[in-house]
Amino acid sequence: MTDIRVSAQGVTKAFGDNQVLRGIDFEVPAGTTTALLGPSGSGKTTVLRTLNALEIPDAGTVRVGEVTVDFDHLPSGRKAARAQTDRLRAQSGMVFQSHHLFPHKTVLENVIEGPVQVQKVPLDEAVSDARRLLEQVGLGEKADQHPFQLSGGQQQRVGIARALALKPRVVLFDEPTSALDPELVGEVLEVIKDLAEEGWTTVIVTHEIQFARQVADQVLFLDGGVVVERGTPAEVIDHPREERTQRFLRRILDRG
Amino acid sequence: MRHAARLLAAALVTLAVLSGGSASASPAAEGTDDRPVVRVGTEGTYPPFSFHDSATNDLTGYDVEVIKAVAKEAGWRLEFVETTFDAIFAALDAGRIDVIANQVTDNPERQARYGLSDTYTYSRGVIVVKKGTTGITSLEDLDGKTTAQSLTSNYAEIAREAGANVEGVEGFAQAAALVVQGRVDALVNDNLAALDYLNTTGSDEIEISGEIDDEVSEQKLAFRQDDPELLKQANDAIAALKADGTLARISDQYFKIDVSVENDGDADLSGGRAVRSDWQIVKDAAWPMLRGLLIATIPITIISFALGLALAVAAALANISGSRVLRGIARTYISIIRGTPLLVQLFIVFYGLPEIGLDLAPWPAAILALSLNVGGYAAEIVRSAILSVPKGQFEAASTIGMGYWQTLRRIVFPQAARTAVPPLSNTLISLLKDTSLLSVVLVTELFREAVNAASAAQVFLPLYIVAALYYWIVCALLAAGQGRIETRLNRFVAS
Repeated sequence: MTDIRVSAQGVTKAFGDNQVLRGIDFEVPAGTTTALLGPSGSGKTTVLRTLNALEIPDAGTVRVGEVTVDFDHLPSGRKAARAQTDRLRAQSGMVFQSHHLFPHKTVLENVIEGPVQVQKVPLDEAVSDARRLLEQVGLGEKADQHPFQLSGGQQQRVGIARALALKPRVVLFDEPTSALDPELVGEVLEVIKDLAEEGWTTVIVTHEIQFARQVADQVLFLDGGVVVERGTPAEVIDHPREERTQRFLRRILDRG
Repeated sequence: MRHAARLLAAALVTLAVLSGGSASASPAAEGTDDRPVVRVGTEGTYPPFSFHDSATNDLTGYDVEVIKAVAKEAGWRLEFVETTFDAIFAALDAGRIDVIANQVTDNPERQARYGLSDTYTYSRGVIVVKKGTTGITSLEDLDGKTTAQSLTSNYAEIAREAGANVEGVEGFAQAAALVVQGRVDALVNDNLAALDYLNTTGSDEIEISGEIDDEVSEQKLAFRQDDPELLKQANDAIAALKADGTLARISDQYFKIDVSVENDGDADLSGGRAVRSDWQIVKDAAWPMLRGLLIATIPITIISFALGLALAVAAALANISGSRVLRGIARTYISIIRGTPLLVQLFIVFYGLPEIGLDLAPWPAAILALSLNVGGYAAEIVRSAILSVPKGQFEAASTIGMGYWQTLRRIVFPQAARTAVPPLSNTLISLLKDTSLLSVVLVTELFREAVNAASAAQVFLPLYIVAALYYWIVCALLAAGQGRIETRLNRFVAS
């Protein structure tokens, strides 16, 4: 039996009258890469944000690692509910579309902030881990600079190192290259590809179809708050069965 | 949000501890002396009765020396509380002082309300006008004219009854200045005070134009009516001091006659304090004013700003919290503070709260009122500064596992500071200047020292300019500090 690292069952979410998610189910086996594709407004970013409870689903169950939260039966007390979502959130690391690095801290300080302040890792251990991670994303010599001194691609790679420093069970990427100048996209995708090869479990919301085809083990195509089609890249991207998927891919590929 | 409530509570507790601490520390803490402490209310700005000696800056004057002699006789330990005459009876009523030694003239209303001692001064009221004024020589002539008086003084009452328009002032020196400047027609006051003014200033700009008719007025110590024991001790002491010639000796020192008996002749104040040059006056006052700045103005500003900032953060967090109750409390607080004058807030805290049993000493009262004031103004600054930090920063902190306080302390506040520092500096500078109001709650700070010096010397302009200079220098230093902090905070931002 495969080790399922992440699972979502019957997840729904509405913002006011707008029903964004209408019952999402999927599983992510450990050590695999899942790509979420779909037109804007399809709910793919919201799905990702329910996995670490940045958005609290109205219903459904989310499991990451050993932590399961049943949002149908969330405790009514604010504090008890918060304790559950905090535990869920601690299972994952997140890379944002626009990096959200802490501007007043150096690159190194950004990376060690979580391990030292939250996980109480000894400082010297956290620093040597962080330096290794920064080497890995190709920024070993930038450790003492501040985020504003870096290019967009470098900032995003620091964001990746910051997420990895927590040793999460899964790394969530929310359109990690959408805010970048085209010539900077490649360096970030390279790093993500390395992670996949190293065996990290990742879930990526992306518009980079070619990248998804190369890296993903599983592709989910979302539209209108439901998973329209799922399968390997060969199935979903190269031979889509659903009309909505075909239309979306045509539009994207024509543009690219 | 519970965290905001906790911070608010912490700030209030700090305030309470601070207030309680210094309130209990002020009286009665001095060792083994078991004489009862009697607090004396006096103006400190009413020469020759109650003023600060220009050489030593010590409180002195006829009334001050008399009450000291009474205390020695009666076995009291004195604490002097200086306040304007118009606040002096309120202070007695509120139990902030036990006796007034400030030429309180006997009249029926005061007899009814207070315990008045035996007479220690007989004086005559006089009318003072600008030199060369004709037609104002008696009470009848004041009808329809404007005079300058302390509003709650007996002379104000007399002038009002004579049909004069009474302009309220703080003390004799201000009244005399208004007469000299031609802003009022006359002032009615004690002949001794008028003679002292003429003598000290060497002024030939005003003159005594007439006396208030027949009656001689009698000045007495005023106690609360519920304090008959003190009153009896005072009367016994005054009788003894009259008998052994002590009162006559004190009086002779100031007036060359014995004013503690009726009709001892014309007073002569020419041997009193010498006329000083403006330069000498400024030189004498410069150090007391600087000391007021260093030991009162600046420390009160710093403490009030720190406490006010804590309150502001609590109010700001409450205001952006999810709890409707906390939001309501924060908004009401901010609205009240911003919608009422600081002076009114000071009066409520110092003169009002004792009526419901919360009796704060001057410093804690001043710090409480100023902290609440700063908190109300800075809360909106802090709130918008917190909201200026991008939402993504909160989310990023949350995804690396940080809790609410950790996020605020390590991620949000350092970034919010960039937005908050310029307006908070303005708040700080305003606060420093607002401390000049604190003499109304009996705090002797920089400006109060300037007022003291001005009323002793009867000279205003050079002393107030020096006071302004002191404030200006400190504010300029603060502004320079603000610039440095801003540069520091901006260094991590691409320009």
